[in-house]
Amino acid sequence: MNTAIDHGPDATATAAAHRPHRVPAVLRAPLEGRTWGELLYALTGFPIATALFCIAITLTATSAGLLVTFIGVPLLAFTLAGARGMGVLERARARALLGQDVAAPEPLRLRARRSRSTGLMAWVGALLKDGTSWRHLVYALVCFPWAVLTFVTAVTLWSVGWALFTYPVWQWTLPRFAHRPGMQIWGDSHGRSFYLDTPYEIGFTCALGFAVVMASPWILRSLTQVNRLLVSGLLGPSRLAERVWELEEDRGVAEDTAAADLRRIERKLHDGAQARLAHLAVGLDMAKETALADPPSAVVMVEHAHGEVKRVLQELRDLARGIHPAILTDRGLGPALSALAARCSVPVTTEVGGLPSRPASAIEGIAYFTVSELLENISKHSGATTASVDVWRSGNRLMLRVADDGRGGALIRPGGGLAGLTDRLRAVDGVLDVDSVPGGPTVVTAELPWRP
Amino acid sequence: MTVSTTRTPSGAQDCEERLPPARLAYDATTWKEVAYLLLNLPVGLAGFLYVAVWLAMGAALSVTVVGLPLLAVGLSGTRLLGRAERARARWLLGVRIEEPSLPPRQLRRPGFFGWLWPALKDPVAWRTALYGFTRLPWALLTFAIVAVSFFVAWPVLGHIARGLAYVDRATVRGLLSPSSELERRIAELEEDRGVVVDTAAADLRRIERDLHDGAQARLVALAMGLGLAKEKLLKDPEAAAAMVDEAHGEVKLALQELRDLARGIHPAILTDRGLGPALSSVAGRCTVPVRVQVDLAERPAPAVEGIAYFTVSELLQNVSKHSGASTATVEVARSRHRLTLRVTDDGRGGARTGGGSGLAGLAERLRSVDGRFAVDSPPGGPTVITAEVPWRDRTAPRPGPA
Amino acid sequence: MIVEDRVRVVIAEDSVLLREGLTRLLTDLGHDVVAGVGDADALVKTVGELADGGELPDVVVADVRMPPTHTDEGVRAAVRLRRDHPGLGVLVLSQYVEEQYATELLAGNTRGVGYLLKDRVAEVREFVDAVVRVARGGTALDPEVVAQLLGRSRKQDVVAALTPREREVLGLMAEGRTNSAIARALVVSDGAVEKHVSNIFLKLGLSPSDADHRRVLAVLTYLRS
Repeated sequence: MNTAIDHGPDATATAAAHRPHRVPAVLRAPLEGRTWGELLYALTGFPIATALFCIAITLTATSAGLLVTFIGVPLLAFTLAGARGMGVLERARARALLGQDVAAPEPLRLRARRSRSTGLMAWVGALLKDGTSWRHLVYALVCFPWAVLTFVTAVTLWSVGWALFTYPVWQWTLPRFAHRPGMQIWGDSHGRSFYLDTPYEIGFTCALGFAVVMASPWILRSLTQVNRLLVSGLLGPSRLAERVWELEEDRGVAEDTAAADLRRIERKLHDGAQARLAHLAVGLDMAKETALADPPSAVVMVEHAHGEVKRVLQELRDLARGIHPAILTDRGLGPALSALAARCSVPVTTEVGGLPSRPASAIEGIAYFTVSELLENISKHSGATTASVDVWRSGNRLMLRVADDGRGGALIRPGGGLAGLTDRLRAVDGVLDVDSVPGGPTVVTAELPWRP
Repeated sequence: MTVSTTRTPSGAQDCEERLPPARLAYDATTWKEVAYLLLNLPVGLAGFLYVAVWLAMGAALSVTVVGLPLLAVGLSGTRLLGRAERARARWLLGVRIEEPSLPPRQLRRPGFFGWLWPALKDPVAWRTALYGFTRLPWALLTFAIVAVSFFVAWPVLGHIARGLAYVDRATVRGLLSPSSELERRIAELEEDRGVVVDTAAADLRRIERDLHDGAQARLVALAMGLGLAKEKLLKDPEAAAAMVDEAHGEVKLALQELRDLARGIHPAILTDRGLGPALSSVAGRCTVPVRVQVDLAERPAPAVEGIAYFTVSELLQNVSKHSGASTATVEVARSRHRLTLRVTDDGRGGARTGGGSGLAGLAERLRSVDGRFAVDSPPGGPTVITAEVPWRDRTAPRPGPA
Repeated sequence: MIVEDRVRVVIAEDSVLLREGLTRLLTDLGHDVVAGVGDADALVKTVGELADGGELPDVVVADVRMPPTHTDEGVRAAVRLRRDHPGLGVLVLSQYVEEQYATELLAGNTRGVGYLLKDRVAEVREFVDAVVRVARGGTALDPEVVAQLLGRSRKQDVVAALTPREREVLGLMAEGRTNSAIARALVVSDGAVEKHVSNIFLKLGLSPSDADHRRVLAVLTYLRS
């Protein structure tokens, strides 16, 4: 059954995961996995960025120089293709070490559809015109100075910080092996010098080291923040490409939903009304034969047929309401929703306010079926005693809110009914928000674009 | 004659107006152009100052914390400048340019950086900034030329204005239009999605109507007849028997109606057996002998199958209704990422995708799923109609950001 | 006696099949079908003409969904006819019932009004009874409408206080049936029904009334308030 809101014990499990840690974040920071990842990122960044920079600058400069000859253009394209390849590596590195999940950008769009040529020149042309490839090349050039800075800072802070922090532990090695009382801070040719050798000085050094150790994760984090931005900004898909994907997916969802709806209706017709009617036809055929010969038994048959017809009518009526309720077409959302509420097993108050006109019928339909499915869930799973439906318009959005006082704990789970609704709404740029703490109440808010 | 309805970009090309003919007479067009050119100066000055001040300030301060946000705000502002300039060009030069699409709402990540970074990357804003920056010299020049020739070269002012305005048109088109392929694709997809959703809703309403007017009405009549027959059976068996007989006929008709409706919704054979058998069954009902050849190794996604099925069945209906053909052929094949359907008949030809015809509806429906539709039907025939639908696999997930 | 029972009917229904079926049914059972029309405008016009000729029919049987828009013109026409011809009974038939339409039809006056699912036509006797009842100024509401009204009433606590039998009686009462009809439907004595009815009125805090249509109004008003 796919319409279930998933009321489950998972809610408590997620709550447990957010239990506060015993050690405050400030003290945990230097030893956290996240910090090690960032450090590793900074350390690996230096050689990688250097290599990338050298290759990129060499290839770019060479191909720029060769542009007058026929080899320059393909070489530039090759450089750009290489930059895209490098993007795969860099995104993987950011994902593994920084936890920054950047989607791969859109693949190269070969415009073969129009030009019908899929040869080398088409590929070269597409690469040269492709903004994404150029952004990758820019990344290869820009990340180098920053990688150097990050590397130097990280290495310095880490070594100095830990060296000072652990000074009390290894301070004894200095008098024994280096023949000096401690770390030398200052000394001149006149033999005047300052060593860290008294307990106070050692303690102070240790404290200083501690401060650096504590501070360095945060400094490193802010440095790698820039890396994150570079990766997501230059190596990720462009905003428009993301939107294109989203829309392509939406359209696919809309198509699939429509096809699935039709199949569902067909199946219901076939299994319900059609099967019954076929049966009925046989019964009537027999009644026809017996009507004159044996009227009393014919009466029984006709009565049976009669009952059957009424059941078919009932079925068809329910089916028609599930397809597109007539009152929605005739009177719009307000009356349709209050009729829906009247059929719900839980008392529902409906309020449809501030709709000066009717939205597009597709939007009306989606709004209606959203509320219908939510109310069905409420009567089946929530254990609520009252529910409310509010519909209003806010700017160019149509807002729906369905609330109940049931046991709560509803989640949007893949494959669940709420996930299906979410998909359906998203296909028209709508949003579904579920607020359902365990113990209730549950408030589901849906937002649809208003189209006149 | 080939009418191909492959998509033309819905951007500037569609509504690109021909230049009005140059005339010596000072008509409204010329005056509008002159007004535009004179307005160039104040507008250009304002735009230049805005861009220069904001961007220079932002760039200079970008070493500090406030620099980048300042730059971002300034860039967002240039979108307004762009809108005003497009409006001016539309009003005075008749250059109709689509508004570039806004940054999509739901892609914005929450938080400050979520706002800052997209704003800084906004290519439309940067192009508009470039426009504002480069306008000033040109604005000075046009203002000077128009103002001077107003007094000195009055007779040829129209030609001068036309020439200068031509450059302006080009600039506005070049820098202020939603030029990118992606933006165009977005507009296209948004429209498509609307068409798909609306078609689905209309389909459902149609089915409900058909049910109501067809099977339901017939069954009510049937129920009534049976009710009467039940009453009469013992009193007047003869009449009752006739009524039961009639009811029996009605049931069969109702069944037939439901079957037709179900087939029009989504034929069971298509769900169960796929395109080949389903199309053979359509061909069997066609009044013209049809040869069906389906060459598919596997079945596409249900939605694709549905569209293919309804396209072919509508085309075959056209063949039997209008073409006067004696034979027809249906070929279905897959070519890499497309499903190709070809319906050929030897009828009288002359079919076209004019507005309002069934073919126009089909073309639109196919276009909304990135399909294509081409009609080749010279008068006298034969007619070859080719449709293409993007192939989607049954189970494979749709491509999308990981 | 026969003249007493004979009612004059106008039928408005766009499906020819059903229109003819209804005509045959009513004629068969001894009533006059004076006109049959296919859309709402024709209905209003025909009734107007008949009224002008001093031959106002007793009752109109109208489909909800008719040309030209195929939405709810039947309801609109019915409301208008009831306003223009106070003595006319109107029975609205539909493939689906909505409490909203019932409310519109009943607005302020439950004399001579009916709203039934088309399926009810199958029970020939009951249907013709309903037509006659409406023609005589009574009420005929579909059980589904009544169920919707009971379901969405805000006075759930009071409705819940009724015994199941009383709720059954309330439903049948709201459908517009007389005490004896209720008694027949429930296979109990008239006296038992009367007792139930007075109990219901007591529990709802309404003053009992003899006229059937007036007590329907009382019940419906109560449920809707």
